[in-house]
Amino acid sequence: MDTILELRGVTKRFGSLVANREIDLTVKKGTIHAVVGENGAGKSTLMNIISGVHRLDDGEIFLEGKPVNFRSPTEASKAGIGMVHQEFMLFPELTILDNIMMGYERTGKLGLLDRRQVRAEVEELLRTYNFNIPLDELAREQPVAMLQQIEIVKILYRGANILIFDEPTSVLTPAGVEGLFRAMRFLVSKGKTILFITHKLKEVLQVADEITVLKEGAVVGHTTPAETSEEQMASMMVGRNVMLKANKLKKDRGRPILQVTDLQARNDNGIVKLKHVNLTVHAGEIVGIAGVAGSGQVELVQCLYGLRAPESGAILLDGDDITRASCREHRCKGIGLVPQDRMADGCNRAAPIWENCIMGYHIAHGFRSKWLIDRGEAETFAQRVVDEFSVKASSLNEPISSLSGGNVQKAIVGREFLQENKLLIMEDPTRGIDIGAIEFIWKKIEELAASGVAVLLVSQELNEVMEVSDRIEVIYDGQLYDGGLHGELTEAQIGLLMTGGVEDAAEK
Amino acid sequence: MRLKNKSELLLETLKYVLAFTAVAVIGAALISFQGAAPGEAYAAILQGICGSASAIGNTIRWITPCIFTGIAATVAFRSGVMNLGIEGQLYVGAFAATLVGLYAELPGWLLPLACLLAGSLSGLLFALIPAVIKLVFRIDEMITTLMLNYVALWVTEYFTKIVKGASANNNSKAMATPVIQESAELTTLVPRTNASTGIFIALLLVAVVFVIYRFTKVGYEMKQVGENLRFARVGGVRTTRMFISIFLLSGFIAGLCGAVEILGVYGKFTPSFANNIGWDGIMISMIAKNSPVGVALASMLWGALKAGALQMERVTSTNRLTVELIQAMFVLFVTIDYRRLWGKWKDRQPRKRTAGKGKEGGIC
Repeated sequence: MDTILELRGVTKRFGSLVANREIDLTVKKGTIHAVVGENGAGKSTLMNIISGVHRLDDGEIFLEGKPVNFRSPTEASKAGIGMVHQEFMLFPELTILDNIMMGYERTGKLGLLDRRQVRAEVEELLRTYNFNIPLDELAREQPVAMLQQIEIVKILYRGANILIFDEPTSVLTPAGVEGLFRAMRFLVSKGKTILFITHKLKEVLQVADEITVLKEGAVVGHTTPAETSEEQMASMMVGRNVMLKANKLKKDRGRPILQVTDLQARNDNGIVKLKHVNLTVHAGEIVGIAGVAGSGQVELVQCLYGLRAPESGAILLDGDDITRASCREHRCKGIGLVPQDRMADGCNRAAPIWENCIMGYHIAHGFRSKWLIDRGEAETFAQRVVDEFSVKASSLNEPISSLSGGNVQKAIVGREFLQENKLLIMEDPTRGIDIGAIEFIWKKIEELAASGVAVLLVSQELNEVMEVSDRIEVIYDGQLYDGGLHGELTEAQIGLLMTGGVEDAAEK
Repeated sequence: MRLKNKSELLLETLKYVLAFTAVAVIGAALISFQGAAPGEAYAAILQGICGSASAIGNTIRWITPCIFTGIAATVAFRSGVMNLGIEGQLYVGAFAATLVGLYAELPGWLLPLACLLAGSLSGLLFALIPAVIKLVFRIDEMITTLMLNYVALWVTEYFTKIVKGASANNNSKAMATPVIQESAELTTLVPRTNASTGIFIALLLVAVVFVIYRFTKVGYEMKQVGENLRFARVGGVRTTRMFISIFLLSGFIAGLCGAVEILGVYGKFTPSFANNIGWDGIMISMIAKNSPVGVALASMLWGALKAGALQMERVTSTNRLTVELIQAMFVLFVTIDYRRLWGKWKDRQPRKRTAGKGKEGGIC
């Protein structure tokens, strides 16, 4: 097979940090080439260099044998390299067709927009690559899997021959992932080349032709699915053997801490998102809530944390009615929250680490003085967070934005774990962070529960819910279904519950 | 301003020096365009700032309101409250202080204190209006405060007429309230100037706000609310209460400024007397990057330039608006994100550098 893209000695520095160190990479035409590594291993930087977002400091890139040096994503795009970003870059209020042509419009006479021409071209693409997309609907009305397809068609329309997928499966359901992989294989069969960035090793084995493993900015291995296994890749990535299994501790289930009865709530658009939800979490118990995104998890957590007023129903914390309490009261009564969106809700990226570490603590626990923030005390607590949760930080005065995603998450988790809460609510606590950090956070969750805290784990990562939870609830369309105790149901059975196959699962 | 290390401090200083030099050069061009010698004009400015005891007094007089409005803006902007109504709150405060100064009968220092309180509380109440509108009707405070500035301006003018009663003449230029009781006035610091003890109130305010931000829980929360509202709410900060408090505090300070202007400088309320001092505060807080100490420093520069400009106009043929133009340009130069500019410029460099390397390699 011909080599379509070759990198030789590519190095990229950000200040004193070397994000990519002399990377050699050879991508063959018509293959799916996976680039795996922990977050912070330099995958995204590398892809940003290939797609023209960053300029390289050293090294060379050859596209079909010719040296290239892109100054902007536009140049890369003209050369046939396109990227499907993790966060979709679509205009919600525009039609799908308009989204696809954005920036690459065709014009007819007098410089007027020629939508007919665009439509013809896009429809041709859809036929060739087997996509089924309603071009005239608004982007905001589409489910996530569809948005991803739109992104793919968008870069195909721009003439991409090499498609870069940045963590494409993190937003998809199991069925959605299957669909994506089918589409990827089909694209490759039509002669396109795919670079696939991920840290989900199972998927790599499933779909990739070639695998390159990155660690700390450098290539540490090159292999194929036939020659390797999940465990082998994982140990290559972190440099040691990692078992992506939670080590369950023995716990005593105590009194009920959180009791939710008959909870009903609507979202901001007035749509009922929670229907007669009943839920109990006991002291020392980890209850996991599995579900496809948008099934009502967000609203449930908001109700439980005082961010949304429920329509009816009651929420009791240790016997106390907190149905209509504010966030502040929740905090003071001993509820912690690890929010899903760590950058938007979990931290203040402009503030130093220590300021981020004492949020909530300064209210619920407080300092010696009622009005003043005791810097010594604050820093002692922040230092505890950093030490006990091994946050890699050079100084407490550094802004938290200088940390990698995994370290930010460890700091947030640490802050919430160390506040002596009765109940801890976690939303996707390990989203988008590396295996080492996931393993670490899982271990901490276990320890926390073993110490008698009630834990509610809401996660879109089914594997996480199944590994960590003592008891599983499945949310589908605003209702909770019993997912059994730890290990009672198989992944397939829970997957079925997640997608509304209640009867089928019950029969089994 | 949290400065992490020496190089950062150097960079910041460099930025201000650069901006200052740039506007000095542009200013020189503007002055020569008007037919005066720039050197002479600048000398006159300097003379006006610190050339004599009365010059210094005048400089202090102008620094005082700059600090007040600068702090009023800083308190609001740092927490993400877009209070553009400082000018209006200042008018309301000034008018209320005048009324108390005219009619209240209180012994000794109680009278000026009552005036200051009346001024600041009126400013606070006037700021309550946009705050409530925002919370009840969800109308952006940027619009409401902007509009309420006009309300304050015209309503105080209207009430000035009422205070003057039947004898009011219709020439609004000459219109003003009677002069307040002498016992209400603030002590003059430099004889025959308008420098008053108001400067001490201003500096005390800077110190108090500095301490609040640096050491208190409230200050910590005020900062977090401004930098990430959602984070603060999840963390348990009462964000609605915080929003109102900050709005009221900002209005309180603006009203206080109005009262000090009346008690320390004018002695009576004249409609439209403030001449955009409220807006100066917004610019000052931008230069100071919302730091209280920075506000004090920037106000010194700002107030000095204001005092100097008046002197320049007296001795040269240059219009004093030139200085205002220069001040505005200074704000522009300071608010440029030089770091990003530098980054962009550097981004273009590697290409040249690698190209250069290639050549060297060729020679070897």
